[in-house]
Amino acid sequence: MRKRGEVFLLLFIGAFIGSDLRYLESLIFKTSNGFPLGTLVANLSGALILPFLIHYLQDRYNLSTRVILTLSTGVLGSYTTFSTFTADTYRLYNAGQWWLLIIYLTITIVGGFLLALLGNYWAATQAFYDYAKRKRGRHR
Amino acid sequence: MTNFLLVGFGATVGAFLRNELTLQQSRIKLDFPIVTLLINIFGAIFLGILTAQIHNGAILLLLGTGFCGGFTTYGTFNMELSQLWFQHRLGRCFLYFILTYIFGILGFVVGIHI
Repeated sequence: MRKRGEVFLLLFIGAFIGSDLRYLESLIFKTSNGFPLGTLVANLSGALILPFLIHYLQDRYNLSTRVILTLSTGVLGSYTTFSTFTADTYRLYNAGQWWLLIIYLTITIVGGFLLALLGNYWAATQAFYDYAKRKRGRHR
Repeated sequence: MTNFLLVGFGATVGAFLRNELTLQQSRIKLDFPIVTLLINIFGAIFLGILTAQIHNGAILLLLGTGFCGGFTTYGTFNMELSQLWFQHRLGRCFLYFILTYIFGILGFVVGIHI
């Protein structure tokens, strides 16, 4: 996939879907106290799904490098965001909303890592389950 | 509707730039996800600058929610963290974790005060 034009087109599709999904969630999960629930939902779900896509769905459905580029770098890369997280953190700090700040920081920092680990386990478990099912099928 | 177009176009440019930079990782003789780290730090600095300087809602959607949101990534960062964890390279894992969060948040604060 050497052509930059093709890469741009694939990322155009992926990033449009990913970023607008995140934007939509920020509108849906609007809270009265200013807690950035939308960013949190997007980031945490993205952190869980990305390892599952790379370590399971890619092999399971024989996804091409183009599809993977669109889905991982495009959709999930744009769906999740780090810069908005830093902006949210600064905003909560500035507003003196300490509890919300602590809750947001903890869930983002610890939760993202744990969900990424979980995504890897989920992929491995699913792959093993598929393998066991195939093996059972052969013995019938 | 216009808002969704602004976010989408901004994110496309951000994601394309992120992809171009990430491709350089293999050329760097360093066994550390330095490119994603720098992307996230510079994205945070840029969003800080935007937040302080730009007061036009449409431009903020295009460059902030769109470009910076699409340029920086939280999914890839955590995926790389989990990879280092599973490879038992815990020192690197911890360093990557600490550097991203400290310099990311600090980056936004620097950006807003520039």
